[in-house]
Amino acid sequence: MPESRFVVIDGCRTPFCRAGTDLAALAADELGRIAVDALLTRTGLDPALVDEVIFGCVAQPIEAANVARVIALRAGIPESVPAVTVHRNCASGFEAFTTAAERLAAGRGSVFIVGGAESMSQIPLLFQEDTARKFLTLTKSKSAGSKLAALSHFRLADFIPRIGLKLGLTDPVCGLNMGETAELLAREGSITRVAQDAFAQRSHERAVAAEARLAEEICPVYAGGHAITRDNGPRTDQTPAVLAGLRPIFEKYGSVTAGNSSQVTDGAVALLVMSEQRAVELGFKPLGALTAYAYAGCDPARMGLGPIFAIDRAAKRCGLMPSDADLVEVNEAFAAQVLAVLQRVPIPDEKLNVNGGAIALGHPVGATGARLILSSLRELTRRGGHRALVSLCVGGGQGAAIWLERR
Amino acid sequence: MTMQNIRLERGDDGVWTLTFDRPNSAANVFDRATLEELGAHLAAVAADAAARGLVLMSAKDSIFVAGVDLRVVRQMSAGDLAVFIELGQTVFGQLAALRIPTVAAIHGAALGGGYEVALACDWRVASPDACTKVGLPETKLGLIPAWGGSTRLPHLIGVPKALDLILAGKTPGARPARKLGLIDEIVPREHLRTAAVAWLARGKHPRSLVHSAPMNAVVDLAIAPHVRRDVEAKTRGLYPAVQKAMEAVMGGAAKWHEVDALKREREAIGELIGTESTRNLVSLFFLQERAKHRALPGVSAGERAIACAAVIGAGVMGAGIAQWLSARGLRVILRDIDPTRVAAGMATVGGLYTAGVRRRLFTEHEARAGFSRISPAATEVPLRRMDLVIEAAVEKMDVKQNIFRRLDDIVSDETLLATNTSALSITELAAATKRPERVIGIHFFNPVHSMQLVEVIVGRSTAPECAQRARRFVQRIGKLPVLVKDSPGFLVNRILLPYLTEAARLFERGASAIEVDEAMLDFGMPMGPLRLIDEVGADIAADVAATLSAAFPERMSVPAILPGLIAAGWLGRKAGKGFYVHDAKDAWKPNDDAANLRTGAQQVVPLSREALAHRMALLMINEAAHCLAEGLVEAPGDVDFAMVTGTGFAPFRGGPLCYADSLGARRVVGELSRLAEQSGAHYQPCPLLVEMAQTGKHFYED
Repeated sequence: MPESRFVVIDGCRTPFCRAGTDLAALAADELGRIAVDALLTRTGLDPALVDEVIFGCVAQPIEAANVARVIALRAGIPESVPAVTVHRNCASGFEAFTTAAERLAAGRGSVFIVGGAESMSQIPLLFQEDTARKFLTLTKSKSAGSKLAALSHFRLADFIPRIGLKLGLTDPVCGLNMGETAELLAREGSITRVAQDAFAQRSHERAVAAEARLAEEICPVYAGGHAITRDNGPRTDQTPAVLAGLRPIFEKYGSVTAGNSSQVTDGAVALLVMSEQRAVELGFKPLGALTAYAYAGCDPARMGLGPIFAIDRAAKRCGLMPSDADLVEVNEAFAAQVLAVLQRVPIPDEKLNVNGGAIALGHPVGATGARLILSSLRELTRRGGHRALVSLCVGGGQGAAIWLERR
Repeated sequence: MTMQNIRLERGDDGVWTLTFDRPNSAANVFDRATLEELGAHLAAVAADAAARGLVLMSAKDSIFVAGVDLRVVRQMSAGDLAVFIELGQTVFGQLAALRIPTVAAIHGAALGGGYEVALACDWRVASPDACTKVGLPETKLGLIPAWGGSTRLPHLIGVPKALDLILAGKTPGARPARKLGLIDEIVPREHLRTAAVAWLARGKHPRSLVHSAPMNAVVDLAIAPHVRRDVEAKTRGLYPAVQKAMEAVMGGAAKWHEVDALKREREAIGELIGTESTRNLVSLFFLQERAKHRALPGVSAGERAIACAAVIGAGVMGAGIAQWLSARGLRVILRDIDPTRVAAGMATVGGLYTAGVRRRLFTEHEARAGFSRISPAATEVPLRRMDLVIEAAVEKMDVKQNIFRRLDDIVSDETLLATNTSALSITELAAATKRPERVIGIHFFNPVHSMQLVEVIVGRSTAPECAQRARRFVQRIGKLPVLVKDSPGFLVNRILLPYLTEAARLFERGASAIEVDEAMLDFGMPMGPLRLIDEVGADIAADVAATLSAAFPERMSVPAILPGLIAAGWLGRKAGKGFYVHDAKDAWKPNDDAANLRTGAQQVVPLSREALAHRMALLMINEAAHCLAEGLVEAPGDVDFAMVTGTGFAPFRGGPLCYADSLGARRVVGELSRLAEQSGAHYQPCPLLVEMAQTGKHFYED
């Protein structure tokens, strides 16, 4: 970064809860509000000092377009502070973070609240196009007769919904859904079911062991008289035998199962970021700073390999190699996909996804990137480490990599 | 006649507009001059053969017409008043009788006479703004709507709804008013006149052609017996205005001719005005108005209004305070020591908002926005940005002192530090911090959302600016503050306690719970004292009694029955049993077992209800006199207003000191002295009362 380093002051997140469970009733804007509100409360930051709020969200709630603005206003950020929602699929949380860094570099503000929010529970079911057209005709009909006529065109099959979540996870260009891209990597890399399940098992075990550490980054969600304080993805009763018993869900003879894929999850993350100079002025002690980052494109059908290209591009920018990192995160979209990355970019096991990953904790797509930044900075602090590399594969054929540092 | 209160204009389209705009005033009110002016204007409009319609408006920012000028009415002789009432009826009658359609375009408060003038129009449109309120609150002042309101409202919305509105003196905002039919349409303020002109096209209101449809039979047979029974049960004959309003509404609706109905209104108000009850209710109204605006002369409340507050303690009180503040636009941190407690507090807040939406106090949208203004915190968080911290933790001095000690490190020098304690010393608590001058008591009553009174407790070390800032804050959040010097029990609980312990003592000495409670209900209290102890909890009541008896051992003690109840686990409603047995549906019946706890030492001869009530009321008067004599508050009005607003002390009696005046100090002292000789030293009259008895003085000299 040029003049002033871009630093992370603090962050917090809601618990990550499997879709349809504890957080299912809360839309993305509400999850985001809770995270931003908790961040403001714990830092004591005057919200009037914020220059912009930037949030990532993949499936924006239809009733809260530009969800970042809704989050900001509901969380008590003054009306005069602008807000923008960014979207780079699974890297949307990264995108919010790096957009703020670019704003700072361009002299467009020095204090930002960034993050990501996703309610995968609330991704809507849609009507088929034909059905929608029939509804339109009905609303346009004025007389009772024409209404009746319009109604008579409806068939039972019209009410079979298109599942938004499924559509969102299917690549429109190559036509494969995300699980199928993982199957492709498994086939091409000869990645066995056993290896995938072992990786999934490791993710759960690490996440379970890290519960107390992860709790430090969680702000409780209060709903219905209860405090929701824990991630509910990690399974203490997960065994290799249970994983081995699951059926492949994308290909009949494939190896990708619900157990070795990331979970479909609700959650939100908020980070307070600013220029180092501003941090000194305001008396904040940063958690860490941004060193470099890169996004790179790749074959949409092999989107899981994205981190390889992004890490390579970042290396060209800052000269850092994975071996320079004390901690590395490769987001666990699928075990097969992470293993495929590792075939080309070897990373020592004790440095990789040390507190578990999305297979255990879940992958609320718009929020995950911001969680990786928060988790790895906190872990870096705990270990007294210097550098962390965090990376994601991105639906649509992209990769993202961010280098973070701590002094 | 000088025409200065109302502007009359005629548009080229034949539409006349009357704009109320009282000079040099933020409010429009009806006084004699304004009524005469209105009458003259209406005559001019009536004479215009080409007129198409008439629109009534106000030029004021937040008031349509606020009703009659009470200050003037208060000073009127009975004769003047009769003329004044008749004048109003005549002028509003002129308005109702116009052959052209008429519309009231209401922005701001249209209350009492202000709504009656709108009722005399054919149609009513109103702005959705928060300041827009309509209704007939006269019964709250011991009066009835007598400018046609009692007659015209039932014809507009039906007898049952009109009774509900008039007897309770409700003044709903635009949305609920539209729902009730009090107004016909809600339109933005800027479009009021356009909308009014559009309503003119509908012509005269169809029902205004006939005064009475055959409502009389319906009213007499179906409604009247019910309502009479209900009103009698609720008012116990203590509120003649409510009864007269009821008769005026039902009787008026049953009359075939409007003139007869209006005559009834006039007669009823004539009988009410000048009664002691009405006088007391009007005085209380002025005391409340004074509390809304009062300030310490020459002391600044600070430049900035309080916008951010932290509430420490998410129990019923803390959550209630947080909800109230957030609903009034403040951002609030609600902090407690663990997520479970915070969750319970947030659930309480959520419940209050849900109930508010159900009662149409908020839209869903407003409720959500209010709820979002509360930031929960389950750990210590920086409070440097807070303008105010209100501690509402458990009533233990060491717990509170610890909290205040910690606050030194996390708040700014500007932060006002308040405690919601109802019993502990502010001065002692203040000593735990490095900034005792910024520590103050802000004592809300339970339930926060419905209790208007807030005691602002000034400790010995509290800076006057802080007292001023706290009072301004309480006023701004729509509560009524009373400034009280730090002293055990402050004001309201201190005066209430001798009354409650006396009730317990009378029970202990043989009086039944029902007799004791009924005696005070007959006196005019909203709830009997033993049921109140059940509500508060015997443990809490005993705590307060212990604190106060330590401070005032010569007059106060813990009645023996309370430890008995506590030992038996009969803590009151929360335990299902106390003086009464409470069931899940909030019904109650006497707890016969409680009678077995009587020590049986001193049985009293059975006392009549009047005698029971008298003893309990005398003790409240006596303690109120002590508080005044000790200078806890500035004036007798502070005591009376606080007791009525904070405890529901029989409003028509004007408060304990006003009631003392009506009995006369000599009689009060005489009876207290006699009781002191017969039944115990705690009846010993306060020296101030004794002196007043000797000099023949009153608490209120005007």
